[in-house]
Amino acid sequence: MKCFVACLMLVGFAWLDAPYDPAPHLTAIAKSGPQGEGSATAKLARDELAKQGVDILPPLLVAMDTSNAVAANWYRTVYEEIVARELKRAETKWPIEFFKEYASDAKRVGKPRRLVLTLLDKLDPAFRDQWLPTRLEDAEFRYEAVGLALAAGDRALTSKDDAAAKAEFRKAFEAARDSNQVSQAAAKLRTLGESADAVRHLGLVVDWWVVGPFDAPQKTGFAKVFEPETRVDLQAKYRGQGGAEIAWKRHHETDALGQLDLNKQLGATREAVGYAYSEIDVPREQAAQVRCGADDNCSVWLNGQKVFGRDQWLNGTRFDRFITPIQLKAGRNTLLVKICQGPQHKDPEVPNNWSLQLRLCDADGRGIVFQSRLTEKTGSEK
Amino acid sequence: MKHHILRSFSLVFVSVLFSSADNCSAENWPGWRGPNRNGVTTDTGVPTTWSASENVLWKMPLPGIGTSNPVVWGDKVLVTASEGRDQGELHVIAFDRDTGRERWHQRLWGTAPTLFYGRSGMASPSPVTDGKRLFAFFGTGDVFCFDLDGGLLWQRAIAEEYGPFENRFAAASSPLLFEDKLIVQCDHYGASYVIALDQQTGANRWKSDRPEVWLSWSSPQLVPSGDRVELVLSGSEKLDGYDPRTGSRLWTVRGLARECVPTPVIGHGMLFVVSGPNGTHFAIKPGGSGDITDSHVVWKNDKGTSFVPSAILAGERYYLADDKGIGSCMDARTGKLIWKKRFGDKFTASPVSADGKLFFTNESGSTLVLDATQASYEEVARNDIGEEVYASPAISQGKFFLRTATNLVCIGKKERNAVQSAE
Repeated sequence: MKCFVACLMLVGFAWLDAPYDPAPHLTAIAKSGPQGEGSATAKLARDELAKQGVDILPPLLVAMDTSNAVAANWYRTVYEEIVARELKRAETKWPIEFFKEYASDAKRVGKPRRLVLTLLDKLDPAFRDQWLPTRLEDAEFRYEAVGLALAAGDRALTSKDDAAAKAEFRKAFEAARDSNQVSQAAAKLRTLGESADAVRHLGLVVDWWVVGPFDAPQKTGFAKVFEPETRVDLQAKYRGQGGAEIAWKRHHETDALGQLDLNKQLGATREAVGYAYSEIDVPREQAAQVRCGADDNCSVWLNGQKVFGRDQWLNGTRFDRFITPIQLKAGRNTLLVKICQGPQHKDPEVPNNWSLQLRLCDADGRGIVFQSRLTEKTGSEK
Repeated sequence: MKHHILRSFSLVFVSVLFSSADNCSAENWPGWRGPNRNGVTTDTGVPTTWSASENVLWKMPLPGIGTSNPVVWGDKVLVTASEGRDQGELHVIAFDRDTGRERWHQRLWGTAPTLFYGRSGMASPSPVTDGKRLFAFFGTGDVFCFDLDGGLLWQRAIAEEYGPFENRFAAASSPLLFEDKLIVQCDHYGASYVIALDQQTGANRWKSDRPEVWLSWSSPQLVPSGDRVELVLSGSEKLDGYDPRTGSRLWTVRGLARECVPTPVIGHGMLFVVSGPNGTHFAIKPGGSGDITDSHVVWKNDKGTSFVPSAILAGERYYLADDKGIGSCMDARTGKLIWKKRFGDKFTASPVSADGKLFFTNESGSTLVLDATQASYEEVARNDIGEEVYASPAISQGKFFLRTATNLVCIGKKERNAVQSAE
């Protein structure tokens, strides 16, 4: 019996001396998910984790690098509680170097990296200012880094240092993915006599053949199949809305962000369908994205295969509204887009837009390199 | 108590009484538009005059942006907010009702970034509490449940589970409590639905798809009808009645605006529904099945409808301030216009009422106080807080809570407060 008690005491002391292992609690939280699943277990685990000190912040942050949004928030409640408590203690030894490495690791999920950067603002106030301008290729911090480059360019302009300004604006332009920043940097470069093609940078498709309007009353246009969907024949004539004969016409869009206004190209109308067709050459087979927005809605066929369609009405053309992964083949690729026009809003003051914006880019938002095969100069381009 | 309220269905209808909470008090302000989801409270002693300095008991800065109304339960005032470039940083904050001291502050991530309105971000929906738990829904499509000490109990990333919210201004519908369920209206350009979550666990109790519906920002309402309770959803040119226990659709009234924001109010055995601009006011008898447009609409008119602000019912009269600042008062039973008046400036906030007074707060932060006991237009005061206001106010325990664009302000009678403190 004495032996048994001694063993128990040894185990007990050993347990008391053992460092806290957060792994079981972190794992328990990782199992939380949809439908509120695992919440009770996650709460118990988070309560235990939150009792710990800053030593568990590195494994906690590693766990926060997850696509499980529910688990990430459970972890965050632990992080916030520990950080708030430890910031009040002068003697806390923060793992600052780990924080810097973590914030700088662009392969990790962005949100916890941003959280750590906010903490570093308190622990090492000089860090952000010297670090952020270097994040031009970092998707999480690129927007701020580009903003800093644009601001630096403006300062150089004020100092009449055109060479430095050009360098900063060029840096901003090349790194930017946000359409406003791209446009801003391009405009700055152009005022300095530099070339900057925002359309090409973003991969906007601006060379089209367009045809319409086809008659599509009462929002039937999205589902109804018109001739261009079965075969694209740029020489064909079709029976359009009101019995009018309609034909394809070439259009080169000059809008700064490639927004194609079908009311201008096909005539203002309602309850109709229009098509836009393009062909591009790409140098190699590659994974890409088609990013598009339309008013009222659009469907997209790549090389004859439908890759996107969303039956929505009166929702506006917005940049990168819809994002669809695609696979481009080396050489010629064809794009057919169907754009529906709904009925007039019952408020006659609401404009009845009919438009499309479409671009081809990589997963990071940089336009892919392509050449339009539509070299004919006809229609509105004449 | 529950059955008494159901039987006596008249002006005051306390939706929270349908929840499982056992300690609901009308002097709390437990969710969107208060204890009855209609802006009206039985609270008394509310100040009728104030300014940026007069009768301000405390003022606390708020992070980010938001237009959710403050929720008051016991000694806590609870507010949501969002910030960040994509407004994905979410805040739930509890302040001490008497001092404004921050009691707790939870910071969380929104999971599904979407477009948002610059004044409201992801914090348009007002949270709701039963006195035990606080339920906060955000425009990102996340639902969080906390205990009233700020401990997270469960969360749902419903936009991740069922698709991100596709609308211009993020989700804005304020959820409600019914029995043991939290009901959230999720109307948008993607796959719309209304969902009931288990208050205890967050799991689905039912989900009813609304494939014919597109975006709206209106909040659900509960209405007793005979021996049943109906869940009413406004949006996409119609009003739908559902069974809140099962999610099955009961009836539909056609004729609303394409995009609906105001929340229906109830009284006199009727539902009062407005949507606009250039829309229609409806007074509707609940009940029935199928299309009840021709059988259950008691009156309608198209005078002075609002896009954002909800209406308010006080006694025999139905009041509204439209977005452009035109106020109107109608006979609730007939829809006949009693008076129309230019209130001044634009309105986003919905009116509230207590102690026989109506409070209309405009975007400049000026609150027009009217005497609700008189049929004629009787102005009591105009109180300027000196800051822009887009959120609807809350009234609780003799205090008026204004969420301005940057602060949470508690307005009260200082002498009364001194007495309370001494006690």
